[in-house]
Amino acid sequence: MKKFLLFLGVALCATFCVNEASAQIKAGEGQVSIALESNNSYYMEDQTLEKIGLVKPDERTRGNFGSNDYIKVDYSKGRFSAGVQVDAYLPGLYGYDMYTYQQRDTKLTGFLTKYIQWEDQNWGVRVGDIFDQFGNGLIFRSYEDRALGFNNSLAGARAHYNFNNMVSVKVVAGMPRLYDVRSNNLVYGADLALSISDMVGWENGIIGIEGSYVGRRDSDISAFNVEDWETGEITNILAGKEMLNMVSGRLNFEFAGVTLRGEYAAKLNEDLFNPTLPTAKGNVIYLDLGYNYKRFSASATFRRMENMTTAIDNRPVGIGGGNVMNYVPLLTRQHTYSLANLNPYRGSSVHTGGEIGGQLDLYYSLRNPKARGKYWNFHLNFSMFNTVDHFNQIYQQDMEGRNVWLDLNFDVERQWNKQVKTTFLYSFQRWDEEINHYDSPMAHYCRSHIFVGDVTYKFNKKHSMRFEAQYLASNDYEGDWVAATIEYNLAPKFSFYVSDMWNCEKMQDGAYGNYYMDLDTYEGDNYLLHYYQVGASFTHNSFRAQLSYGRNRAGFVCSGGVCRFQPAYTGFNLAMTLSF
Amino acid sequence: MKKLMFLMLALFIGVSASAQTLPDVKVENQEGKVISIREVVDGTPMIISFWSTTCKPCIMELNAINESLYEWLEEVDMKVVAVSVDDARTLSRARAMTQGQGWDDYTCVYDKNQDLKRAMNVSLTPHTFIVDGKGNIVYSHSGYTPGSEQELFEKIKALK
Repeated sequence: MKKFLLFLGVALCATFCVNEASAQIKAGEGQVSIALESNNSYYMEDQTLEKIGLVKPDERTRGNFGSNDYIKVDYSKGRFSAGVQVDAYLPGLYGYDMYTYQQRDTKLTGFLTKYIQWEDQNWGVRVGDIFDQFGNGLIFRSYEDRALGFNNSLAGARAHYNFNNMVSVKVVAGMPRLYDVRSNNLVYGADLALSISDMVGWENGIIGIEGSYVGRRDSDISAFNVEDWETGEITNILAGKEMLNMVSGRLNFEFAGVTLRGEYAAKLNEDLFNPTLPTAKGNVIYLDLGYNYKRFSASATFRRMENMTTAIDNRPVGIGGGNVMNYVPLLTRQHTYSLANLNPYRGSSVHTGGEIGGQLDLYYSLRNPKARGKYWNFHLNFSMFNTVDHFNQIYQQDMEGRNVWLDLNFDVERQWNKQVKTTFLYSFQRWDEEINHYDSPMAHYCRSHIFVGDVTYKFNKKHSMRFEAQYLASNDYEGDWVAATIEYNLAPKFSFYVSDMWNCEKMQDGAYGNYYMDLDTYEGDNYLLHYYQVGASFTHNSFRAQLSYGRNRAGFVCSGGVCRFQPAYTGFNLAMTLSF
Repeated sequence: MKKLMFLMLALFIGVSASAQTLPDVKVENQEGKVISIREVVDGTPMIISFWSTTCKPCIMELNAINESLYEWLEEVDMKVVAVSVDDARTLSRARAMTQGQGWDDYTCVYDKNQDLKRAMNVSLTPHTFIVDGKGNIVYSHSGYTPGSEQELFEKIKALK
């Protein structure tokens, strides 16, 4: 709490120091820019949640306060730049993998990242923390996502060189960040991109051939003990292979509104992601096709993969969402309305083991060039993922290809005039409840139909109101839901909202599997739970603060196709960002 | 940790204020070619707006600007640069969306490794900057409430 107050002090001071919009900072000939972000929660007692076992007792012992804070300071002068970022978890918020998997329950912790960089016209060098990716990130991606508490930056060096746009080469090497520690494993790689269109002087389109190599050298291959989380049995196994090699080849093509991007990547050595499972090689095919014509556009993605999720460190420091060095996200549509996003596809062991599927997006905008205040926007999305029909080496059994996820949805947005705008969304989602159980002989499908209506009314240039109503009809164990939000906006500074998400049908007995629930104390069938929220936000230039109070459902928070589990809680949230 | 915070406090106080410029960072254009973001600086004042396919308020803001753009252009010369921070997973969806939403008058660029987002210290989208014709950042705003696009227009007009 003390540290939080100190942080608040710094943030407030900073706001006052730069309360004028144009005030930017200049030190000598160069310039300094600073960004602050602070996410805080105060957890209250909620007996209703506790009775149905949604708040685990051990979470209570961590105290009532959580705070994830980030301070980033950058200095740049011409082509030179340098910076530091401090992450402070005081302690961190519930539901971040760092705490779930590393059992650092009560600890305050933090991490410091830093870099210096020279970016010339055709070449560049960076030393310190590296954020980069090769191609689609299938074999290597280091990035930060604060919504997930994810950061796997490489501490090392990167150099790149570009020759007349025809040939570009990039090399990286370093030690990845693993939660709030630095892994001792070394990750290195090289990427080569050839632009055929630039070589032959073809200016109407793009033809490119690219390839990458990534290696991971484990620091320690000594034997270690693993406790099976189901049986408690302790087995002695050998940590990973000494060296893991991965390669990728890519093709890019673009001409007359058509784009085609393809990538094939493979894990050349046997690797293990989960220390309790056998090792296996892996491979992935990724195809992305796009087409644009005037105001119509289409995009389709196909992917087939086996065993491609790659850990930074195979030793049992806990797997978790943060222990990943490549990027194989879920490709389904990430819905923005709460009920459409109630049970998102999260792949899980299917995704890690073997998954085949894809998705399709169609967009069309109908508008009169003379009346820009009136238009229709249409969007259709379809996604479907199956398990791969093969002998899975990791799970040591024949896998039957069967559908695990399907989402067919469309939304229509209509701007009627300057005052009124409406949005309608329908989504049909079907998923296999047995998704995490490879040995389950048959699928058990849950089906949901989701309807959303959203109306924004602008009274004048400053005052506006938004009303949102949602209904979810489902045969899963929670049954039907209804949700509504009312938002009042006072542009450009204030916004207020009240919302409720109500599980209006009694939960079914003996249900399980969708998310963590303590079945011994499960009395959920007696409750029709309300998940209410009330909040306000204030914006002044680049300072933004949002305060809210309410009950939050246990579920999955997804960002960029990666999900983390968020336990249920009731309490206050205060989020602030500031940059200058 | 405390020491670092005080160091930053000292930084706030110790430096003087003046205009910041658009950093020299590489992004992809609509055709997928790599360009420097500095190439958009051509003497015309602009709104630079960071968005992504999963950020609803971002899309609302860009649509609202698009609706008013022709009215604004009657009063002042300006342009809009939409920076998508979508990564490899949603990049093609972002490209499709710019067409499907009718953002034909925007300069759309793609920051798939989020280098520009980091360089401009954007922690939360939508985040919008006003940049003058020489590439100086004169104003920035984060978050969107319906109607706040009017403030951006006022700031652009004030540049004259």
